[in-house]
Amino acid sequence: MSTTEITSDSSDKPLLEVHQLAKAFGNLNVFDNLSFQMGPREVLGVIGPNGAGKTTLINVLSGQLAASSGTVLLDRDPISRLPFHARARKGMIRSFQHTNIFSEESVSENLSRAKRFSSSTHTDEDGARSLLDSFGLSDKLDHPAVDLPYGLQKMLGLVMVYITGPRVLLLDEPAAGLESRERILVDQFVETALDRLSCGILIVEHDMDMVRRLCPRLIVLDDGQILAEGDTADVLRRREVIEAYLGVTEEKTDAEG
Amino acid sequence: MMDHSVVVGFRRIMDRAGWLALALLGAMVFMPFLTSDPLAYSIGTQILIGASGALGVYVMLRMELLNFAIPGFMAVGGYAAAISASHGVTDIFALAAISFMLPGLLSIPVGAIVLRLKGVYFVLITYIFTEIVQLVLIETPSVTGGTDGLIGFPVLQAFGVQLTAYSSTFYVSLTLAALAFLVAIVTTRIFRQQFSSIAQNDVLAESFGLTLWRYKTIGFFVSSGVAGLAGFSLVNMLLIAHPLSFTATSAVNYIAYAFIGGTGYLLGPLLGSALLVSVTNALSFSGEYSEGFFGIVIMIAVLVARGGLAGALANLWGKLGPRRFRQDYPRPASKVSVKGAQ
Repeated sequence: MSTTEITSDSSDKPLLEVHQLAKAFGNLNVFDNLSFQMGPREVLGVIGPNGAGKTTLINVLSGQLAASSGTVLLDRDPISRLPFHARARKGMIRSFQHTNIFSEESVSENLSRAKRFSSSTHTDEDGARSLLDSFGLSDKLDHPAVDLPYGLQKMLGLVMVYITGPRVLLLDEPAAGLESRERILVDQFVETALDRLSCGILIVEHDMDMVRRLCPRLIVLDDGQILAEGDTADVLRRREVIEAYLGVTEEKTDAEG
Repeated sequence: MMDHSVVVGFRRIMDRAGWLALALLGAMVFMPFLTSDPLAYSIGTQILIGASGALGVYVMLRMELLNFAIPGFMAVGGYAAAISASHGVTDIFALAAISFMLPGLLSIPVGAIVLRLKGVYFVLITYIFTEIVQLVLIETPSVTGGTDGLIGFPVLQAFGVQLTAYSSTFYVSLTLAALAFLVAIVTTRIFRQQFSSIAQNDVLAESFGLTLWRYKTIGFFVSSGVAGLAGFSLVNMLLIAHPLSFTATSAVNYIAYAFIGGTGYLLGPLLGSALLVSVTNALSFSGEYSEGFFGIVIMIAVLVARGGLAGALANLWGKLGPRRFRQDYPRPASKVSVKGAQ
C-alpha cells in the first residue's frame, strides 16, 4: 500500500488532540504528561514494552477509565469529562484485544447491535458489506458468532466497530492471536476505514511488520513516557528505542503469540 | 390508519412465548367454572402472586442480575395499595397504577445506588434493601401499623362494579398478573438487544455507545413495578398488609420459581410458581417433609434441567412439535440490513 497518500492530508487540522494526559492508580503512575495529535486519515502507531501503558492509554482515551489529569479534544471539542458511552457516540470507538463480540448471537445480530447502540447517523453499511465479503463473513450472517474460528470472530469485532462509522478508531492489538495469513485482513480493514470513513486510527500493536506497513507515524511509550515520536522508519532507527523495545521484540512477540 | 399501526406494532412486540403466557393466564379465567373448591381458588391466587413476583426476578435476570429486592418492592406496592384503600380508593385499576408506579419510582433512586453493582454484590445489596424496607415497616407504626400491620382491605371495584363475588380475589390476582406479564413482555421484547448485551458483555455494549445505566434503570423500574402489583395482590388476598409477608428470605421463593420455571423463558415464572405452589400445598399435610421435597425439586432442576420446566418443554416441542413451529428457541437472526450482502 502507499503510505504517502495517507500522510498527505494528515497535517490539516488535528482530529484528536491529547494534552498532558496522565493516569495514576493511587501512587502508581501508569503514564504522565502525554501530549500528541492525530489528524483525519492518519494512522498512528503506539508501541512499547509490556507495562508501558499502551492499553491504559486506550482505556483512558475511550473514557473507559477516567484520566487523572489532562485534556482530550475530538474535533476541538473537549471530551475528557464525557463517560465511555458518550465518547463512543461522539465517534471515539475502541476495539478490544479479545472479547470483542456477543458470542452467543449470530453474526448479523452482532452487527445490528453495534449499529443500534451507537445511534450513529453516519454508519457505513456498504463499507461493512465489502469488509464482510473480503473476510468471508457474508455467507455466515446467520451463524452463531461463537462457532466462527477465532480469527473470524476477531474480524467480526472489527466490522462491528466499523459499522458505527467512527471518527477516531482506537485499535488494541488487532493482530494479537491471529495467524500470519489472517493479519493481512487487518491491513484491509485499516485501508477501508481510511478510504471510506476518513477517520483517524490509533493502533497499539506488537507486530512490528504490521506497524511498519500501516503506521507512517509512531509513538514509542516506555515507562509511561513518550520515549520517541515521529516518522516510523526514523523512530525505529533510534538507539534508545532499540534498547528499550526493539532489542527484545522477537522474544516478546513469540511469547505473546 | 392509527389502529392498524398499533396492531402491527403490537404484533411485532409479542413473540410466541408472550402469547403463550397470556393465553395460559387467559385460560385461568375459566378455572372457577371447573371447580368451586375454595382450596383451588386459594392455590390459584397464590400461583398468580408467586408468578408475578417471579416475573420481577425474570426481568432482572435478562440482564444477568439476581434481584433480592422483590419482597421489598412488593411491600411498597402492597402497603401503598392498603393505605390508598383506607383513604377510599377502591378501583382496582387505580390501585394497580399506584402499586406499580410507587415501587417503580422508588426504584429509580434505589437503582442509582444498587445498579452500580453486579454479581454477588448486587445480590447482597438488594437483599439488604429488602431488610431495610422491613425495618422501616416495623419502625413507622403511625403509617404502616408497625408489627400489627394494616388490618383489613375493602371490597374492590372494577368499572364501577363492586367485586363482592366469592371468586373476586382470584380474578383480581389474575387481572394484576395479566397486567404484570403484559408490561414485562413488552419491556423485555422492546429492549431485548440492550438487556441481552448487558447480560453477555456490558463493557462491549458500552463501547459502542450504549448507555448502560439507562436500560438497567428501565429494567429495574419494571421489575419493581411488577413486584408492587404482586404485593397489592398478596395484600388483597390476605386482607392484611404485614411485614411478615415481605421478609427478605421470601425472596428465595420468587427466585426459586423463576429458576425452576426456566430463567430463559417468559413462561418460566408462571410454570415455576404453578409447580412449586401446588407441590408445597399438596405436601403441607405432611408437615416438615414439604420443605425437604421443595429442596430436592430445586436440586433436580439445577442439576438436570438448567432451562427449567419451560426449557424442558421447549426441547420436547422442538423434537416432537409440528415442523413449522420447531424453530422456536434457537435464537432468531435479526433482520439487519447488512443481510443483503452476498
